[in-house]
Amino acid sequence: MGDLMEPERGHLPSKITRRTALGVLAGTGAAAVLSGCGASDNRTTLRWWSPQAAPDQLKSYKARIAAFEAANPGIRVVFEPTSDEGYPAQFASAFAAKQLPNIVTHLPSFAAQNYYAEGLLEPVDDVIKAIGSAQFLDGTNDIYRTADNQHCALAIGNTAVDMLWYRKDLLQAAGIAAPPRTWDELRRAAQATQKPGLYGAALPYGMNAMTSLIFIGFIHRAGGQIFTPDLGVAIDSQPTYDALEFYRSMREFCPAGASNFSWGESLTAFVSGATATGIYGGRVLANVAAQNPAIADAISCTVYPTMSAAIPAWTFNDFPCLMIPKGAPHLAETKAFAAALYQPEFYIQQLHAAPGHVLPVLKSVPTDPRYQANTLIARYPAEIDLMTRTAATGHNLGQETSAHRPNLKANEIIASNAIAELVQRVVLNNEAPRPAVAATAKRLAELMRA
Amino acid sequence: MPDLALQRPGLSRERRDALLGLLLIAPTVLVLGAVIVYPLLSAIALSFQSVYTPTLEGHWVGLANYRELLGAGGFWAALLTTAIWTAGTLTLQILIGVAMALLLHQNILFRSLARSLVLFPYFLSTVVAVLVWRWLFNDLYGIVNHALMAAGVIDAPVNWLGAMPNAMLSIMVVGAWKFFPFVVIAVLARLQTIPEALYEAARIDGAGPISRFFDVTLPQLRDVLTIVILLRTVWDFKEFDLIYLMTGGGPVNGTRTLPLIVYQQAFGLNQMGMAAAYAVSMMLVMLVFMLAYLQRARKAAA
Repeated sequence: MGDLMEPERGHLPSKITRRTALGVLAGTGAAAVLSGCGASDNRTTLRWWSPQAAPDQLKSYKARIAAFEAANPGIRVVFEPTSDEGYPAQFASAFAAKQLPNIVTHLPSFAAQNYYAEGLLEPVDDVIKAIGSAQFLDGTNDIYRTADNQHCALAIGNTAVDMLWYRKDLLQAAGIAAPPRTWDELRRAAQATQKPGLYGAALPYGMNAMTSLIFIGFIHRAGGQIFTPDLGVAIDSQPTYDALEFYRSMREFCPAGASNFSWGESLTAFVSGATATGIYGGRVLANVAAQNPAIADAISCTVYPTMSAAIPAWTFNDFPCLMIPKGAPHLAETKAFAAALYQPEFYIQQLHAAPGHVLPVLKSVPTDPRYQANTLIARYPAEIDLMTRTAATGHNLGQETSAHRPNLKANEIIASNAIAELVQRVVLNNEAPRPAVAATAKRLAELMRA
Repeated sequence: MPDLALQRPGLSRERRDALLGLLLIAPTVLVLGAVIVYPLLSAIALSFQSVYTPTLEGHWVGLANYRELLGAGGFWAALLTTAIWTAGTLTLQILIGVAMALLLHQNILFRSLARSLVLFPYFLSTVVAVLVWRWLFNDLYGIVNHALMAAGVIDAPVNWLGAMPNAMLSIMVVGAWKFFPFVVIAVLARLQTIPEALYEAARIDGAGPISRFFDVTLPQLRDVLTIVILLRTVWDFKEFDLIYLMTGGGPVNGTRTLPLIVYQQAFGLNQMGMAAAYAVSMMLVMLVFMLAYLQRARKAAA
């Protein structure tokens, strides 16, 4: 062997011609292909998509998948992350190419209603039945009920997305004893805490879904709405002008880069200590613990202030859900895996991967000692409890209030950035609110007709 | 083998040759038809329909998409934005690319290493490059603002990506950084073929470095620069990922180029027919550049 491989003055080894070498390469390649074929995985593959894919969450998913695969040797589950901003495009191309995932989790309720209305989702009533509908918190799955009296999805969690996070130490140092309840109080708090190197707020002004979703909440917190309960366009109203005026007045208390903020940037601004207040869900807790533990004792949250104390709070809950695309293969196996995600030990593990962010929808979990055993859940009981209660009464553009019909165009309205564009035109371009709102109303009407 | 098959009585030699020619060219025609003609015709056909993207189901609407597209101000504004972006980033690419090629043509220390490293931005994934640049431009943690503040150039962080014209200038700079190596490769290759005798003659005539550049180098680079500009114009015109990831088209519509509208129509609003109409319109604009390129190539071949 040694002398076979002995090279001869820069040429191929003396006993190996180019032809032999090529033959060996071809043979090796063929052998590799054949061995690959021989070792092919004959198991049924289920593809699982979710935008919730932080490292700890991935770890919990892997544990769930491993246990499910061990119990079902003929099935293999592959997790594929998607994103909150990118899922409409990924979904559209997956459906168009007929390369569907079997199961999709943590997308908002309005996405499920939208896709179901287009005939793209399987009803999941038998999954709910398999888990036990009585196991869910009362009314949790109502938002997924469809016109044909089925369920287009089922809740996998709740999230109070737009809580007001604040630094107790900074508010106290500024002479503010209690967290703000109204917009005037919030603006005063932002003004009082702002100083070189520290901003008062971390509101988003970017051309993206976050700005649209967050600003919808501000319109409601001014007493307005985007659509009437019968889905007529209602955005062109005084509360919208009030919300725009307040949102514009807060710009000076946000970092310069807030004009480009989306979820990640807004979250990081508060977690890093660059702002005295933030707007986000419970993920703040885990991120502060991991990235800036020095402020862990100084943070708390409350419901986001309204224009006046007389206006009730309105919290954005995206109602993260589980849905099953129609046309994906292996429906029975998919439904079995879907139900398995709710087995308490694994469900709690998923919740612990994002403590306080994905809140429980199963009745037994909030009081389950295994759920409460989590360090962050034990450390912030008041905040977790508040977010749990607030999220349960939350809404989103898919159904702005309990009186509203489901809005099947909510997905396209968010993806169009029409509301984010309104914010940017008024706040960044300093355009007059009335014509800008009128143009947005017209755009929304077009989207509803499309 | 084809010759044997074609040797049938009644077929003239010319006809046999013609058939053989058709047979030989058929695979190329089939492949080009499958990868160019079919998608092109599909896009044109889609642009006359209203199609829901996820299901690809739709109906014929004739010229309605084009009427809506041309009637709305969005198309023309985006076309102007696309033209500004293309002209701006292309100018920077050419200036930086030619300057760098001239530098790398000199006998400098570590020239081979420098020639390899200069290609780095071109090979780097756009997603990675954009992530790095977004952090560099970040107002809270970005080194650009920190360096400028430390140097006393600015008092407060500059909003590089969220205000105009900063956002457009920023993406032009990033685009130039990402794509100038292409100019370097092409220009450097040409520089190495310019006869040294031309420079010697210029020196004898008393030409300084600047005169030698404008009177010798630049005329010699003219052909290659023309091709580079034409190609890069087409590529920059349809650039999507860099702009989408840097600004998403904002602030407002300040950096919203035509490819971003195509993407939003197709996958955000699920209106594949309208997206196809935008794409076909873009293609028609680019066709002008393509015709110029073909004319140039034909002239060069002649």
